[in-house]
Amino acid sequence: MGFPYDEANWAVVDGAMYMGAGGSMPGVFTVIAMAICVAVLFVGHRSEAKKASRF
Amino acid sequence: MEEQIAELVAKVAELEAASGGAKVTNTMFAETFYYLTIPLMIIIHAGFLAYEMGASRMKNVLSSGVKNILAFAFMIPTFYFFGWWVYWGFPTGLPGAPGPAGISGVEYANAIAWGWGESAQYMGPNIADQASGVFFGAFALFAATTASIMSGAVIERIQTVGFVILAIVLGSFAWVVAAAWGWHADGWLVTKFGVHDFGAAGLVHAVAGFFALGVLINLGPRIGKFNADGSANHIAGHNMPLTVTGLMLIIVGFWGFLMACVIVPGEAWSWFGDKPSTIYGTPITLSALAFNILMAIAGGIIGAWIMTKDPFWMMSGALAGIISTASGLDIYWPALTFIIAFSAGLILKMCADWLERRGIDDAVGAVTVHGTIGLYGVIMLGIFASGYPALQGEGVATISLMGQIVGAVVFFLCGFVPGFVVSYILKMLGMLRVPAGAEQAGMDTVKVPAQGYPEGIPASGAPAE
Repeated sequence: MGFPYDEANWAVVDGAMYMGAGGSMPGVFTVIAMAICVAVLFVGHRSEAKKASRF
Repeated sequence: MEEQIAELVAKVAELEAASGGAKVTNTMFAETFYYLTIPLMIIIHAGFLAYEMGASRMKNVLSSGVKNILAFAFMIPTFYFFGWWVYWGFPTGLPGAPGPAGISGVEYANAIAWGWGESAQYMGPNIADQASGVFFGAFALFAATTASIMSGAVIERIQTVGFVILAIVLGSFAWVVAAAWGWHADGWLVTKFGVHDFGAAGLVHAVAGFFALGVLINLGPRIGKFNADGSANHIAGHNMPLTVTGLMLIIVGFWGFLMACVIVPGEAWSWFGDKPSTIYGTPITLSALAFNILMAIAGGIIGAWIMTKDPFWMMSGALAGIISTASGLDIYWPALTFIIAFSAGLILKMCADWLERRGIDDAVGAVTVHGTIGLYGVIMLGIFASGYPALQGEGVATISLMGQIVGAVVFFLCGFVPGFVVSYILKMLGMLRVPAGAEQAGMDTVKVPAQGYPEGIPASGAPAE
């Protein structure tokens, strides 16, 4: 993603300094992280239900 | 006119008094900031102690504790005697020339880091120096952390004194060299290759993890760990709840560890008068750490849960989450931190199993959690943060994937080579491993004049599949 400012110098930074600042990537990462949480809950429940059904 | 001048003089005096008060307040704040990181980092050691004792079988529980406590005790004076000097003396490599920031080199180290002569004024109580002691304390605790990382891997068969010698080599020399090169504004890895490792994923965790690997190769597995056909047996610790609680304590202590990686503003030794910075002089906020550390813990736990369902690996996943993102906790976007930490949690157990299949008996997974995941974190930062300036100032080196790979290789070597060589020498001297009979009898019976559980522990239920 690279440094989010034109010049590779910290002197030009006076605000957001995270990777992807000012672009769309932070939003994309947030959506991916949300999807991971949902997918893990889905897979985790399915696996646990399968094990519990043996008893 | 005279009245106005008198008024102005009074005003200036008032402002000067206020500014002097603010200066004292800032100095006290700076001193207190680092002072408080020390007890927070001691919580890491409470955690390692519980973790390691819980991971030991009942016959070894106290000897594991003795070993861990003793490593901490030897780390502090040896870091005082020479570790602190190594850190300041060799950022530019051998022979210890001064670097561009003017705060390194053998001459500089001689002036501030020996416990004798002129430099002694910076190594003891001094009313004019409210910084050296708290900086030394924070770094000494980093050093002790490296020793504790190695400590868990070698439980249940190592000799106490042999282990303490290894801990001193790791904590007061090996990681210090890596820190001088990659965690100092004059460090050659930083100035030449743009290596960025804010939270010490490589220079603390990977160095300690691969030092442990070098030791484990010479130490060999515990009796009964591997079968004749090479397959491995699981040797369960006697107290999983203690181990898991210990891991959680390590994570509590990490807040102090990472806090100590921040340089506060407004002092003569600060990078800035008005904003905090990393050790490289690049900007950081404690808010950045709060966002990213929490997301890293969560991502690591969730990744490890989906793969293992085992609380030991889940809490190890939390550690792996922090370690895999530690290099860039100052600049990662929180959701990206979560994703990287999640991936570290996913691969954690697989990496540990891979190592076990190669005949390495790492009792607590330290090589994987700290070593492998530490290097993974260093390299991940190279992928996502390429182009970021690695230092404060114009025309400085920038972070790159190649630079981070160079850093990862150097950190690996800084750990593995001394770990392997020194443990090999100890093995030749008969100082590495206890005799087989003593190992089978239990190290507590052999070494410790006390009982861990005089009244026993009731058996628990059978584990789930």
